[in-house]
Amino acid sequence: MGAFSLITDAEARVPRVVVVGLASCFGCQLQITNAEEHLMEILGQIDVRYWQLVTSEDGVEDFDVAIIEGAVTTRESEETCKFLRAHAAHVMAIGACACTGGVTGMASDYLGARTDLVYDGEAPDACGEMIEPRPVSAVIDVDSEVRCCPIDPYDFVAALQRALYGSNRLPEPRTMCADCKRNETECFFEQGVLCLGLVTQAACGARCVNLGRPCNGCAGMSSAANLEAARLSCETYGVPVESFDKALEMFNQVKLTDSETL
Amino acid sequence: MKANISVDHIARIEGHGNVHVVIEGDEVKTVQMEVVEPARLFESMVRGRSFTEVSYISSRICGICSASHTVTDLLAIERVFGVEVTDRTNALRELLVYGSYLQNHGTHLYVLAAPDFLGLKSVFPVEQIAPELFDGALALKQLGNELCTAVGGRSIHPITAVVGGFTHEIVRDEYLAFAERMEAMIPFALQTVDVFNSFEVPAMQTTGDLLAMYAPDKYAVCDSRTLRFVDAGVDFDADQWTDHIEEYAVPHSGALFARERSAQRNYMTSALARINVSWDKLCKQAKVAAAKAGLRPPERNPFLNNVAQAVEIVDALERCAILCRRLAAGEFEGSSAPAPFKVRAGRGTGYTEAPRGVVLHELELDDDGRVVHASIATPTSQNVANLEDDMRQLAEMLVAEGVDEPTIRLRIEELVRAYDPCLSCSVH
Repeated sequence: MGAFSLITDAEARVPRVVVVGLASCFGCQLQITNAEEHLMEILGQIDVRYWQLVTSEDGVEDFDVAIIEGAVTTRESEETCKFLRAHAAHVMAIGACACTGGVTGMASDYLGARTDLVYDGEAPDACGEMIEPRPVSAVIDVDSEVRCCPIDPYDFVAALQRALYGSNRLPEPRTMCADCKRNETECFFEQGVLCLGLVTQAACGARCVNLGRPCNGCAGMSSAANLEAARLSCETYGVPVESFDKALEMFNQVKLTDSETL
Repeated sequence: MKANISVDHIARIEGHGNVHVVIEGDEVKTVQMEVVEPARLFESMVRGRSFTEVSYISSRICGICSASHTVTDLLAIERVFGVEVTDRTNALRELLVYGSYLQNHGTHLYVLAAPDFLGLKSVFPVEQIAPELFDGALALKQLGNELCTAVGGRSIHPITAVVGGFTHEIVRDEYLAFAERMEAMIPFALQTVDVFNSFEVPAMQTTGDLLAMYAPDKYAVCDSRTLRFVDAGVDFDADQWTDHIEEYAVPHSGALFARERSAQRNYMTSALARINVSWDKLCKQAKVAAAKAGLRPPERNPFLNNVAQAVEIVDALERCAILCRRLAAGEFEGSSAPAPFKVRAGRGTGYTEAPRGVVLHELELDDDGRVVHASIATPTSQNVANLEDDMRQLAEMLVAEGVDEPTIRLRIEELVRAYDPCLSCSVH
């Protein structure tokens, strides 16, 4: 995380914002527009200089905040990130792909074999010069993150507000299990069902669990995650440890691959 | 005329695409729709994954069609396992898919396409020019989001839809409230048909065939397995899709292109294709609106895909209101709780009509329900070849009329947007 500074301190002007999509499903950009009731209030506070999804205004070089969605999967997108970092006072990564590599990051393992499988050889030129998928933070310093797949529109609003006006709130590394305890929801492990809440950063209020589905770890691993203890819990509840490790790949492949090579 | 028209990262479409058109004299030399989307390699990602995770992964192919990818995957898995779901589960899936129609068509028509016809660069100034339209468009989009959230647990990337049923359902009064909101939205949807029908578009006809879902008794979007090529007059089951559809790679596109296999003919799949296949089964108000707009089969002008989507919004609202009332009244047989099933090996194809057209997921599973092979065809990957044909036709037409370069450029961009391409989906 970069040094804390207020965007609005720099000059008395409306903060200029660009929104850029890298390798992703575009869902997090859509989620911004899904804050319908508040969309114009948000847009009223910023000057959107570039947003390919919603406007045909040309690209610009003068901006204060760069919002990046998607994982870095090509040399070209690596350059895009560096360009954005060089021009923006604040870089915000939104969504699992940008924050952890997300589902896109699953391809970071055995990339070559994967392009063979899908394209019967090399990927077409139009795909760019491909590299192992990685989060934005692997390429440039990121000042703030909005986690989850997809992001919650209101989490985004809150993060933008913090970027624009500042906040003394510190990141909370607690895991998702803590939220389930708070919600008093029944634990999946008690039914012998695997759930990734044990190690996943709490960020969503346990949305999936509340709807009857175990956590898939889309917020990424918490910095307080204890993988060994989690594996022990799996054993205690009769959940195969291999299935825990496998499930963890869905949103944390990049981190898992990195820790193997370190 | 000598023109080299290049539009890099064409705006107001989902994903990244460049348009490249070379005109020399009266001749249109080159027409390319470059799909420069990074390859995410989903067909490789789902390999080795359990059936419990597959739909959760493949929904990430596309933010806006996530409901369609989820349901399509579940249908493929259920075909392999031989799972029969209840009528209630089918009704909920239809509601989920229609929720994404409202999201997609609302966003596409107003946020992405409308600024073209109003001479604007984005939708935001519409708030000043036509506040009623702007507020209506946002309310429509919001209704779609809320419907997806109510049924799927989240506005995109559904949580509750699993093999055999749903892990959660809303209560009776919530269905009734939705029914009322759907019905209240119909006048705005009818106005939307009028608005998009009033925009002047070039008179042209696509040269390709049209492909959409067919069912004898309804305007089907997720509960038939039959695909129909309109011109070829061929119906086939989703499991036979590779006998009829050929995918192939080209250097300028990260998306595989597709064509009809036997005639090697390009084709379009879209709301317009569905209208051509199922016009007579539209709900009453939607059919009247279509007739009033002059939209009836055969209609082959790709620009009218915008009007077709507007008609589908009316249809979706009428249909969802009925579905919600019937769900509230408990009229559908069975519960939506996941049906019991046995995991077994096999191969099967799921098929739905995503908002942008035909989406197919072919899966082969092993004895443990893990994916051995996956093949996914999205609407846009099927459409790009045909879009290039239409771009060429349009460019030739405009060159013959002596239209200037900036106008040709704009018209071609408008054509691309009328197709409502989802390039992130197409390179999956």
